[in-house]
Amino acid sequence: MTIRWIALRVILEIIRDRRTVAFFLLVPVVVMTLIFYAVSQDETAHVGVVTRGVARLFDADLIKSLENETDIEVVSLDIPDEETDLVRIETAIRDHLRSGRVDAILYMDEKLLVDRFAGRRGTLHLWVEGSRPTTTATAISAIASAMDDLADALPVVIDTQCSADCANSVNATPMELTKHYLYGSEDYRMVDFFLPVFPPFFVFFFTFILSTITFQRERTRGTLERILIAPVSFGQVVLGYVGGFFLFSLAQAVIILTYIIVLLSFDITWAQMFSIAGVTLLMMLVGLMMGLLASFLAHNEFQAIQFIPLVVLPQVFLSDMIWDIQRFPQVFQWIAYFLPLTHANWAMRDVLLKNHSFWATWPHLLMLVGFFMAAWLGLMAVGRKRTSY
Amino acid sequence: MLAIHNLTKTYGGLTALDHLTLSIPEGEIFGLLGPNGAGKTTLLRILTGLVAPTGGKVELFGRYAPTQPEVRAMVGYMPQQDALYPGLTVSENIRFFGRMYGLNGEALETRLEEVLALVELSHRRDGLVSTLSGGMTRRAMLASAMVHHPRLLILDEPTSGVDPSLRLRFWGWFSRLVDNGMSILITTHHISEASHCHQVVFLREGRLLEQGEPHRLMKQYGTADLEAAFVQATEQKGPNAPPSQKGGQP
Repeated sequence: MTIRWIALRVILEIIRDRRTVAFFLLVPVVVMTLIFYAVSQDETAHVGVVTRGVARLFDADLIKSLENETDIEVVSLDIPDEETDLVRIETAIRDHLRSGRVDAILYMDEKLLVDRFAGRRGTLHLWVEGSRPTTTATAISAIASAMDDLADALPVVIDTQCSADCANSVNATPMELTKHYLYGSEDYRMVDFFLPVFPPFFVFFFTFILSTITFQRERTRGTLERILIAPVSFGQVVLGYVGGFFLFSLAQAVIILTYIIVLLSFDITWAQMFSIAGVTLLMMLVGLMMGLLASFLAHNEFQAIQFIPLVVLPQVFLSDMIWDIQRFPQVFQWIAYFLPLTHANWAMRDVLLKNHSFWATWPHLLMLVGFFMAAWLGLMAVGRKRTSY
Repeated sequence: MLAIHNLTKTYGGLTALDHLTLSIPEGEIFGLLGPNGAGKTTLLRILTGLVAPTGGKVELFGRYAPTQPEVRAMVGYMPQQDALYPGLTVSENIRFFGRMYGLNGEALETRLEEVLALVELSHRRDGLVSTLSGGMTRRAMLASAMVHHPRLLILDEPTSGVDPSLRLRFWGWFSRLVDNGMSILITTHHISEASHCHQVVFLREGRLLEQGEPHRLMKQYGTADLEAAFVQATEQKGPNAPPSQKGGQP
């Protein structure tokens, strides 16, 4: 009987807290949706084809062979057909890969057919973007499996000097595939792709949780009111929190970095180290502001805790950290653009995997500053409304 | 020192303060008396700038805004709740609140010693607040509220949950503070203990029933203690009093 009354009391209390009930129902639905899109779709590589010389006559057959591969989506490129200078073609290929529109470009020049007519294997050039190992692997593996079809798509050797067996043997000879990497190399490890996002992610994650709970305690304990009664502005209180959390976030970032560099043998320069520190600091500030804002939007500690999965989990799924955001529906891609961790990840990968300078990632840095400012303004509006007049 | 003009505060359909007009002189212990829900805490929250009034004005030290930093610096506030940091020691808590009011260095240390001595907590200065008894926590609260030597000390139920002998010691400390030039505005629902005040007001459902010196009010209502005087005032001037006897503002 006693158990029944305790259970009834718990149920009544939760039911009367509408926001908690909403969180209870909303969070699993959101998370399950994200998991569904993350795991249910196969990786597809966007591949472009560039042919020059006589090989252009076989464009359609080649593209058809590639389109037969389920893991490949052929993308048309806007490299002018009349462009024949090899250096300029390679520059255009690099630019296309850099733009992110394509993951790989198959380049076939006229020498391929000359080689094959001469009885040699012939070489196909595959350019890959290379910064995302899973996409690179998909592109290489799909193109490798399409190689036979590609060979079939090419003209057969008709040589009076060659017997039928000889001609068949030349035609059946597999082509050689030479790979060129815009970023990274064949030795590039999966772990190299994930490591750069760890420092900003962990610092954001823990700063958000700690600031949410700490500030909530400050409010419920009544100490925040006592501070605000003193001649102290709300902005000063927030900046004080930044100062307090900075030390711990810094210590955490140093530990993560040391682990990555020393134990995981991640080779980075001083400039890259500075960039990691910069992005991590920005993420600490964003996490702090978002934590304080979440704490103010929550009416009690129970609600505050529920902000944690709501803020953190979507970012784990949608920030391009583990799963390619391109695999999610368009609406999630738009949401991803408005998540701070997305920009932190992109900035870190630009610096560490693509060797960009810290300042070259300015659009992402600007977005992080924007998130900080938005959360700050929101916090000022909500905080002032709730604490003073 | 403090003048309240026609002050009103409503929460939705509930009226917490109903056109309250009141003036409080300097250098006295001034008691706001009334049962729970009388509007005492709401009034204090308005005076400290934590809540905006629905209507009316508050004039504190000749200024019309309790939120001005110069005014805030002259006010100390001890809420009902034990609003201290349990993970810090008594002296760390007091130092922290002193620094919030701009106290530093030698001045802060001197003041720390003074307030600790006054509330008889010097021996527990290095003890964590989480290890203090309820009475000691209230004493630490008082010390932290007055560390910056405010002109006006606002105390919201300071003796709530405190045993009778400690309650008497609290009133002794309040008298010493007033002797040293501080003014105290205090709320309590232990009406009998408010006979220590220089002046009191009776509040009921957000309205002022009476204001005056405790002994004068007891004499006026022909009662032996202040609690009985409050009951008489409620019966004669409260919301359920006969229409002919209803007063409200003095």
